[in-house]
Amino acid sequence: MIDRLDNLADLVHTPLFGILLTLVSYRFALWVYGRSNSLPLFHPFLVASIPVIVVLPLVGVDYVEYRDQTTLISFLLGPATVALAWPLYRQLHTVRSVLTPILIATVLGAFISAAIAVGLAWWLGAPAEVVGSLAPKSITTPIAVEVVQSTGGYVSLAAGAVAITGIVGALAAGPIFRLLRVTDDRIKGFALGLVAHAIGTARAFEYGEKAGAFAGLALGLCGLVTALALPWLWPWVAQYL
Amino acid sequence: MIDGLLILLFFQFLGEVLIRLTSIPLPASVVGMVLLLLALLLNAPFSQRVAPAAGALIKHISLLIFPLGVGIVLQWHRYEDYALALGVAVVLGTLLSMLLVTLMLKKLLGGKHGKSRGGSHD
Repeated sequence: MIDRLDNLADLVHTPLFGILLTLVSYRFALWVYGRSNSLPLFHPFLVASIPVIVVLPLVGVDYVEYRDQTTLISFLLGPATVALAWPLYRQLHTVRSVLTPILIATVLGAFISAAIAVGLAWWLGAPAEVVGSLAPKSITTPIAVEVVQSTGGYVSLAAGAVAITGIVGALAAGPIFRLLRVTDDRIKGFALGLVAHAIGTARAFEYGEKAGAFAGLALGLCGLVTALALPWLWPWVAQYL
Repeated sequence: MIDGLLILLFFQFLGEVLIRLTSIPLPASVVGMVLLLLALLLNAPFSQRVAPAAGALIKHISLLIFPLGVGIVLQWHRYEDYALALGVAVVLGTLLSMLLVTLMLKKLLGGKHGKSRGGSHD
């Protein structure tokens, strides 16, 4: 009997357990998100994390083991990043007329977001790895977790910082647009996509199709520009940290 | 779906090949994304087949990501000393970025092409 129970308990050390826990948590998070009418505060990233964070210590599986169990899931981040070319391609068509200012805005905006995060963290005394984890915080997560490896940061921290950035950006957008008297849906969408990536894009669609399309474009371009620039620029930034 | 996945993995593989040949410091998947974008802009014959797999992966991106994010809490001892710097950089930093980026966009895009009416939904 004891042997059988031990056998059963060993089940938590298999990929099947980790993947099942991940899917159940995600399914639960989707349900909560739907019930909350897609409130940014109840984003699936945050809600899905809770059951995993509670269950893993209870069954005695540490984070490194869980990460190994779920390799199959994280592997899909690669093709998911490649997949971003598709919406980018679709949206490039819709904004051909304002492409030049859009590209300038992307480069400046990507720089502003990264520089502010890096500057604040550095000023408050965070070590180089933590600062490096925050540099890609305004870009979409699949690209961010790839790029963070070139800045010597932590993947977990980058993923979390990206999610919180998206949530804060989406929540702050309304008040900021009112404060600055923004009435142009293109600006609302582009700002949301640029600073708050996918979560901001979901918020932008509430302003309408046009805002959503501009947000999607900003998300793709900002991720691309940051991914292309950061690995080259970082060694130069890092020597001052 | 299978066609789409095949195309995505193939372009990621191309990215990997290119990186190994040139040793450019970029993630393979980002290079794959650029290559796929170029192929789509050049009207590659498979463009419609990418859509189902691309759509499904992007829709459920949170599922692919959050198992990495739980590390923040489960390895908190690594980060607790910098909690203040992290909180300020992420929360205040995002507010500042949003403010500055919106101002910049007003300068760059404001006044050009048909402005939409205040707060109206299209």
